[in-house]
Amino acid sequence: MKLTSKLERILPRVQKPARYTGGEYGQILKDKSRIEVRVAFCFPDTYEIGMSNLGLRILYGTMNQPDWCWCERSFTPWGDMDEQMTAAGLPLYALESGDPLAEFDLLAFSLGYEMSYTSMLHMLQLAGIPLRSEQRHGLNQMVFAGGTCTCNPEPLAPFVDFFVIGEGEELNTEVLTLYRQAKAEGWDKTRFLEAACRIPGVYVPAFYDVRYGADGTIVSVTPSHGAPQRVQKRIVQDFDQAYFPAHTIIPSTEVIYDRTTLELFRGCIRGCRFCQAGFTYRPIRARRPETLVQQAITALECSGYQEMTLSSLSTSDYKPLAELMTRLLDYCDPRKINLSLPSLRADNFPEELAERLKAVRMSSLTFAPEAGTQRLRDVINKNLTEDEILTTCQTAFSGGWNAVKLYFMLGLPTETDEDVLGIAELAKKVLHTWRTYGSNKKRGVRITVSTSYFVPKPDTPFQWQAQISPEEFTRRQRLLREAIDSKAITYNWHEPDVSYLEAVLARGDRRVAPVLEYVAQHGGKLDSWSEYFDNQRWMDALAACGVDPDYYAARDWGEDEILPWDVIDVGIRKSFLLRERRRAHEGVTSPDCRHQCGGCGASCLLREGTCDA
Amino acid sequence: MHRLLYEKTGNARWISQLDMIRLFQRAFLRAGIAIKHSEGYHPHAYVSIALPLPVGQESRCELLDFAAVDGTPLSGIPARLNPVLPEGLRALDCFESSRKIRDLALLRAQITLEYDHGAPAPEQVAALFAQPALLVEKKTKNGPAQVDIRPLIRELTVQPCADGLLLQALLCAQNPGLNPELLTAALRAHLPACAPDFARVMRLEVLDAAGEPFR
Repeated sequence: MKLTSKLERILPRVQKPARYTGGEYGQILKDKSRIEVRVAFCFPDTYEIGMSNLGLRILYGTMNQPDWCWCERSFTPWGDMDEQMTAAGLPLYALESGDPLAEFDLLAFSLGYEMSYTSMLHMLQLAGIPLRSEQRHGLNQMVFAGGTCTCNPEPLAPFVDFFVIGEGEELNTEVLTLYRQAKAEGWDKTRFLEAACRIPGVYVPAFYDVRYGADGTIVSVTPSHGAPQRVQKRIVQDFDQAYFPAHTIIPSTEVIYDRTTLELFRGCIRGCRFCQAGFTYRPIRARRPETLVQQAITALECSGYQEMTLSSLSTSDYKPLAELMTRLLDYCDPRKINLSLPSLRADNFPEELAERLKAVRMSSLTFAPEAGTQRLRDVINKNLTEDEILTTCQTAFSGGWNAVKLYFMLGLPTETDEDVLGIAELAKKVLHTWRTYGSNKKRGVRITVSTSYFVPKPDTPFQWQAQISPEEFTRRQRLLREAIDSKAITYNWHEPDVSYLEAVLARGDRRVAPVLEYVAQHGGKLDSWSEYFDNQRWMDALAACGVDPDYYAARDWGEDEILPWDVIDVGIRKSFLLRERRRAHEGVTSPDCRHQCGGCGASCLLREGTCDA
Repeated sequence: MHRLLYEKTGNARWISQLDMIRLFQRAFLRAGIAIKHSEGYHPHAYVSIALPLPVGQESRCELLDFAAVDGTPLSGIPARLNPVLPEGLRALDCFESSRKIRDLALLRAQITLEYDHGAPAPEQVAALFAQPALLVEKKTKNGPAQVDIRPLIRELTVQPCADGLLLQALLCAQNPGLNPELLTAALRAHLPACAPDFARVMRLEVLDAAGEPFR
């Protein structure tokens, strides 16, 4: 981008200025005089987070495929830059051209977590674009959004012109093609949205009238303008051949995940009852090892990265993992490329794999038992036994690993103090395993226990469940802290505020929107960063807007209630979620999809073929 | 030792020294140029940049040392690197060199002083730098210290230019060296009326003690 003199004078005063200039190798530049549709891909978090996101790279690539469309990037500036831009009267711009976002046809927001909502609104403010859809009248400055969070888009309904639900590779191109026609033919905004809502996967919130009853629950949702009753999530049908960003942007400054990422498969066979991603990314679709090896080689050669990671929701569930690893290591080893494997499950971590991985690089081992006792793990359907955890630790410790991270949740449905103390017990058993089998005792061992505060999420069997109160969460955390008495075990604990608000937003409806607006208008942004999160600002906003957070977070929702997110169909049947909910409360597990199809309904999204569980 | 001469201008000037190292390690791989790796448990492609360029300054004379393996012809390296470098970085030359970086003695730089409300007379600014001593506060490991920068200035001319004033300077490069930004700092400290609204620095050439280009 061409640096303006305003920007040039600001940059010496901010931290890591290279985040704000674009110009990286691999960015896509086009001649704007020949472009019909200009999109700003807006990531409501910092450059370092956004550029670590595989989804951004995929969608940046696909939206730039048509030669008549130019998709650029914009991120949330850190506070120092924010202040300088405001003081200099410099509006938020896109990194490729340097042009202000207000000049763009479309602004595409990627919403990966609830706490980024305020950053989205903040970015609009910095761009000088009105927050509410009804305040934007033209066909330009059209705001649309997609991403994980949009399986409940309702809290953002007044701000977003349309949502793209599900996987965006094909859907975005269809929307852009329609927009191109609308712009060329001079349609007004309503006419465009009326046509857009007929594209499967497009949700236009303004076309739905939501009515509430005396008790506050939803009574009816009525579509108009020809919008469908429910909007079904889109998926990529042929994931093996789907676009992969082999030629992508290589940041000139360090980002969080600065490496090549291979995406093995989408969806998850496990059915952990708390996990939103585990349900909403179904059906299972895998890439063939040949495809992945080819993608890996191309991506590594194009980037010069010396590090690669395999990505999926549960990497060890990739059926041909051993074959893939062998072929990748054959390429990576002689080239000194470091291969890492996150998302491994403790129950099927093959010993020979540990051996070969160790040869590449020693790193810490991460497990997510999620709950401290078998009873509670059965409730959440985390089909992982203590034996399996300890056996895997034994393998890893005797293989030379000396760091283990264990992730748990507090406040899971039916949790008792016994379950909480079970976490400390399990950590002690892991320590004991190291004392018995550790191959290098002199180096010591580091066992890290982290607990998060359970947030009931839409499209999971726990979507009706009340969240425990922040006070109760704090009490359980203290109980656990007191039960962990070994110096080799570190316990990471944290404040409950953010997860409580997450619960409000995750299950929020349109009445929550003014709260977001208030927070953004009172300086809220980057709320997932402790540097910027201000709980008082949120409490003030809730009070000012007359919104009771407990209505959303701490309430047991009725099973026959109309849920705010019912308008979105992610492919999972409610009857399936209800069955899983009952089994949870009976403490009965369900087999993974590979052993027995649970009939969740997601295979209906496939036009041909079956779910690749 | 193999040495690459490159320029760092435009937006690339905001890339930090540490990021530059990582960037070149990857760029060599992208260009398919095999280079020597460091020894040790986590081997890394070995690249070393002479005379770290402060973030925000531009340069036409950056030097990077590395070791190409497999007898890669050096003269072809700039043409192979340039297509895989980010905006603002451009390889100019690549050659074998046995000269030690410590023999790099002088730096020719130009500093453009921008004045939003009219530039002062060049003579006024030149007079400041003609004084026998010129104390400037400099950040050091032990906190701020007053340093006399005058002995580190070998030549300095001031002339008017489109944006304000153009300073052409020949400065000591290292042991100790003078960051051209300190010339602006001197103006701010001793001639506040002549302090610019903005200053931009461009390194033009690195020289040896005899005043010949250092390669």
